[in-house]
Amino acid sequence: MSRGSSDPAHAGGDGRGRSADRYALPVLAVVTALLLGALFYYPVATVLVDAVVVNGRLTAGPLVEVLTGEFYVGWLARLLTDPAALVRETLREPGALGTLGLFGFTAWQALLSTVASVALGLPGAWVLARFEFPGRRALRSVTILPFVLPSVMVAVGFYSMFGASGTLNALLSALGLSELDLLPSLGAIIVAHAFYNAPLVTRVTTAAWESVDAGAVETARSLGADPRRAFRDVVVPQLLPAVLMGATLTFVFTFASFPIVLALGGARYATVEVFVYSAVRRLDYHEAAALAAVEAGVSLTLTAIYLRYERAQSQRRRDTRPPARESLLPDSWTRERVVSRLAVAGYALVVAVVFLGPLASMIYGSLTVEGRLSLDAYRFLLRRQTAGASFQVRPLPAVVNSLLFGVGTLAVALPTGVAMSVLTTRRFRGRWLVDALSMAPLAVSGIVVGLGMLRGLVFGVTAFGYRFTVTGTVAVVAAHAVGAYPFVVRTVAPPLESLDRSLVESARALGASRLRALVDIELPLVRAGVVAGAAFAFAISVGEFDATVILAEGSGSYTMPVAVERFIGRRLGAATAMGTVLLAVTTLSFLVIERVGGEGGGFGG
Amino acid sequence: MAEVDLTRLRVEYGDTTALAGVDLSVRDGEFFTLVGPSGCGKTTTLRCVAGFEEPTGGRVTVGGEPMAGVPPEARGVGVVFQNYALFPHMTVGENVAYGLKFADPPGGVGRDERVADLLDLVDMAGFEGRDPGTLSGGQRQRVALARALAPGPRLLLLDEPMSALDARLRERLRVQVREIQQELSITTVYVTHDQEEALAVSDRVAVMNDGRVEQVGAPRDVYDAPATRFVAEFLGDNNVLTGEVRASTAEGCTLDVRGHALRVPPCDAAVGDRLTVCVRPEDLRVGGGGENRLTVAVGSAEFLGDTTRLHCEWEGTPVTVRADRDPTGTVTVGFDPADVHVIG
Amino acid sequence: MDRRRFLETAGAGGLALVAGCSAEQVETEGSTGAPADGGTETRTATGTESETGTTTGSATAGDETLVVAAYPAFVDAPSTSPGAWLKRRFEEETGATLRYETPDNELNYYIERARQGADFDADVYVGLDTSGLIRVDEQQGSGQFTDPLFAEAGDLAGSDRVKEGLRFDPEGRAVPFDTGYVSLVWNATADGGEFTAPETFESLLDPAYEGDLIAQNPTSSTTGQAFMLHTIERFGADGYLDYWADLRDNDVVVLGSWEDAYAAYESDEAPMVVSYSTDQVYANREDQDLQRHRIRFLNDQGYANPEGMARFADADAPDLARRFMEFALTPEIQAGIAQRNVAFPAIEDAPLPDEYAEYAKEPAEAVTFTYEELKGNLGTWTDDWARRFASG
Repeated sequence: MSRGSSDPAHAGGDGRGRSADRYALPVLAVVTALLLGALFYYPVATVLVDAVVVNGRLTAGPLVEVLTGEFYVGWLARLLTDPAALVRETLREPGALGTLGLFGFTAWQALLSTVASVALGLPGAWVLARFEFPGRRALRSVTILPFVLPSVMVAVGFYSMFGASGTLNALLSALGLSELDLLPSLGAIIVAHAFYNAPLVTRVTTAAWESVDAGAVETARSLGADPRRAFRDVVVPQLLPAVLMGATLTFVFTFASFPIVLALGGARYATVEVFVYSAVRRLDYHEAAALAAVEAGVSLTLTAIYLRYERAQSQRRRDTRPPARESLLPDSWTRERVVSRLAVAGYALVVAVVFLGPLASMIYGSLTVEGRLSLDAYRFLLRRQTAGASFQVRPLPAVVNSLLFGVGTLAVALPTGVAMSVLTTRRFRGRWLVDALSMAPLAVSGIVVGLGMLRGLVFGVTAFGYRFTVTGTVAVVAAHAVGAYPFVVRTVAPPLESLDRSLVESARALGASRLRALVDIELPLVRAGVVAGAAFAFAISVGEFDATVILAEGSGSYTMPVAVERFIGRRLGAATAMGTVLLAVTTLSFLVIERVGGEGGGFGG
Repeated sequence: MAEVDLTRLRVEYGDTTALAGVDLSVRDGEFFTLVGPSGCGKTTTLRCVAGFEEPTGGRVTVGGEPMAGVPPEARGVGVVFQNYALFPHMTVGENVAYGLKFADPPGGVGRDERVADLLDLVDMAGFEGRDPGTLSGGQRQRVALARALAPGPRLLLLDEPMSALDARLRERLRVQVREIQQELSITTVYVTHDQEEALAVSDRVAVMNDGRVEQVGAPRDVYDAPATRFVAEFLGDNNVLTGEVRASTAEGCTLDVRGHALRVPPCDAAVGDRLTVCVRPEDLRVGGGGENRLTVAVGSAEFLGDTTRLHCEWEGTPVTVRADRDPTGTVTVGFDPADVHVIG
Repeated sequence: MDRRRFLETAGAGGLALVAGCSAEQVETEGSTGAPADGGTETRTATGTESETGTTTGSATAGDETLVVAAYPAFVDAPSTSPGAWLKRRFEEETGATLRYETPDNELNYYIERARQGADFDADVYVGLDTSGLIRVDEQQGSGQFTDPLFAEAGDLAGSDRVKEGLRFDPEGRAVPFDTGYVSLVWNATADGGEFTAPETFESLLDPAYEGDLIAQNPTSSTTGQAFMLHTIERFGADGYLDYWADLRDNDVVVLGSWEDAYAAYESDEAPMVVSYSTDQVYANREDQDLQRHRIRFLNDQGYANPEGMARFADADAPDLARRFMEFALTPEIQAGIAQRNVAFPAIEDAPLPDEYAEYAKEPAEAVTFTYEELKGNLGTWTDDWARRFASG
């Protein structure tokens, strides 16, 4: 048998022996489910149960109170309590409905924030995906930096950038223009929300844009479509799922926004989460649970709707050839090129004001005292480091812990996120529900999760004469991973789903186990998505605050955001200096992640 | 040693039934083709054999071994897909060598040597370092074939491997595939919707429709003696006529089709039964000749080179006729009862 | 972490393997509820600690450990905090070891533990105020929180020196250790040096002060709550909401926390902020322009916010806890805590430097609500405020 062979001895051979390999994915999925159950669903249940159980009895009372409270839901309350009268009055005097109450306002500001984030984020994706310029990759990798910033830093940055005597007004008056009174206002909340979330829109859309098939665009052009038409008919449909995902996540996040709202908008713009917070603070758990349950209900419903849409959109792709990037500074200029470069420049200006402004203001704040240049704030960090007591938060351990937890989170969230992505790309009934439930960590009130972790994990459960508690480094990493893995799923699952399944099947038929096919074939092809997911996971871990302070055992496992929070005093130098350290460390980390991950190939998402 | 047996194979997705009980036996070393229109279940059947699909009922055995619960990587099958499915991030050589990561090359040769042998087998020698994206469709499909064969599978599964190629290439490649199959005498299951392709290369074909097997047999037998109306109409051109039995003797039967009496071969139908028969276009002679005569109106003609296909109408039903000229208007066609095949 | 704990942990299996989980054996509840005076006590055997058993009163504390629960800023503020100094002095004095616990949820953390029936190590809580105490008492009876959380202070040496007006616990559990006054801090350099803060609550509504005040949300901030209570004291429970509606019309800015508000004030967002009357102590220390840190007591009143300490009812070291409270009330320590916490001592005769009085302003009249006045009302008042302010 010189050339081919159909040696039967090969058949049914070693595949069955590699059972560990075979079960790796299901085992990972089970691990994910256990982690989710132990670190999310169980703790959250300990809190939300108060929405339906009062004095040990099952009741709809607290929920009914929220759903029929005019303050909470506006005229919807009457829809539930007295629909007939509502209809009568509306018919008699249309437009006299009034507001939708607290939930209405919360949804309204979330909607505005989402629109602003998409408007601010989309051009970023266009620039990053369509143009070539020095530092493009570095820029792309630090896009999601705002994600990790503690809200108090953002508030400080906004006040010194957009405040009454902030940089913007100084610029305006230097230019002889009238000054603006921007803060505090609903507008400030929305811009700050965009500051956090536009980068998310940019990041996910860039990934999608980079995988648009150039061939399809060329086909459309050859069929007579002008560039605008080709964009609308070919590119837009391929970007839409990513944009809508960014929009959905933005809405979900801003719907549950709380510190930014309080810092930049003030009490008159209170959101549902503000009321959850104050209810938890005064230990009114029934109200807190009911509000948080309705809040999570809204967010989860929206997430589920998005996921159904994402499924419907998913198309199997052949291998794609990404469109070539244009150089930002072309050799020759056409009218079209001049216009597009002007647009890029205009966008750069907006970015400078909205993103770089607050960040630079924060760094500037850390380097000045009363307007004079000073290193006092950094001297404070140094002093804390060398002379701080063991029960105080010190900068270096905070940096080390942040990195440690970040890497740990990556190590857990990447495999579990990828495993969940693989499983949810399978088709089964009610898959969108499983998918939505696995996304729940994004949708449930952070305050409720924090309280639940305190009850369920720190205080523990008594069983068999033992009290089981979960705290310390491993618990922090696990909690971060639970918060981070949905991002991995959302960035990996769509490109994975759109991969031609015969690639995996070919590999399987050639002898690769499911895991092996994933590692050898699929992951390299969706690398852009994996790298984006890794960056998100790391960012989530570095920026996480609530679970960290709750699960850390003493000051020994505090992270950079906790240090920032603790260093806030009457003057903000120390906190901004720590914030600057956080910024520097995170920037470096993102660059490393992007470098290790490599440039996403043309085949990935 | 690598015969494939499918017993009452069922696949259901929710409320839809993809396979409604398929029984098939593929003999060792045979080139076996599943043919049928899209959605007939032929690809699902192949996927069950490969292990990509878990049947909801029935069983698959390969070489006598039950395959239930055996993952694809342990079945020893080589698969070639319609869209080649070459790994785009690997070179041609890496693609072919991929399966050799999990099994030693058969015949005790080295991996590189095996890759070179296989590429040579498919006339792609020297392409090891190329990026699959730079190859033509035919080249990609040959690389895919080499890759599937490299680990020495006991079974080769081809899922519409030619349908993305142009007609000329398709014909050339199917001959090459057939030659390689015979050289290796590897059991091969071939899925195609193209009946001509099926008849051209196969040892035996199974015609599938609506999740069921309509007929299995050698190409010529199935062509000449379709067991069902579907097979008669699916394989090649055919004229299917249905009428009522007027007389039935040992010499033959007489059928009343739209008021015309037609003589057909003997059958065990009783007088008054409905009977379906068919007659191939090439058996219809323009200008009469034959015991049965039909007067047909010629619609359009297709010139096929060696012959002309006439699309005609007779008593409101379409009739296809082969002719060496293209008449217009009304013509008489005749045929012998012996050329009529009784379907039942 | 010793071997036994490790084995228990490993033996717990399941979850223990995936998350840094520990399992501690819970002692069967034989004698539930330690007496309030702490004569004997129930302990959980944890397997990690060698020390078990009862503590009895003794002159030297030796190798005993006192666990002091406090709010984080008490030990870890970027400016100054009394924590480290107090620990050193107490350890020198008694020979015992003082360990801090500073959970982020502060008092609520311990209320939660009590509700969930989860034991804790802390012996003393430092940083109680009236509203915290009300929460404790309102929560008692829910969940597994059946027995009192705090013990009565009893006869503490030096407690007779505490200023009478500061005592806020009718049941004598919490003993005040310092107090602050909530007032306005204002910037005399604003409007080109023309700005002067109003003298009364009423004049705050003057259109001249439109948009000039930054306050805090009473649902999320202590100073915010104090300022709201001050308006209730001034306008009554049925009048304060109207006053706030007027304030709102005059564009008062209400931010979430004191930190947010003060940061906005420092960025010259507005010339007045609700803060503490000790603001100039910091300003002086940091060489800031005192004109930018003027203090105004509206209607010559300041809302007093005394901070107290109390011993947990099931403290492991009740006697050491008592000694700690007595120690904290001694004049020198009182002066030290006040200066480091930038507050006022709870006793009359703390030896503060003269300079301190120059910058730490006390109002002509201190106002505050008593425990009885607040109990049952505080929640309603705050809730009504939040709803009224957020809607409309």
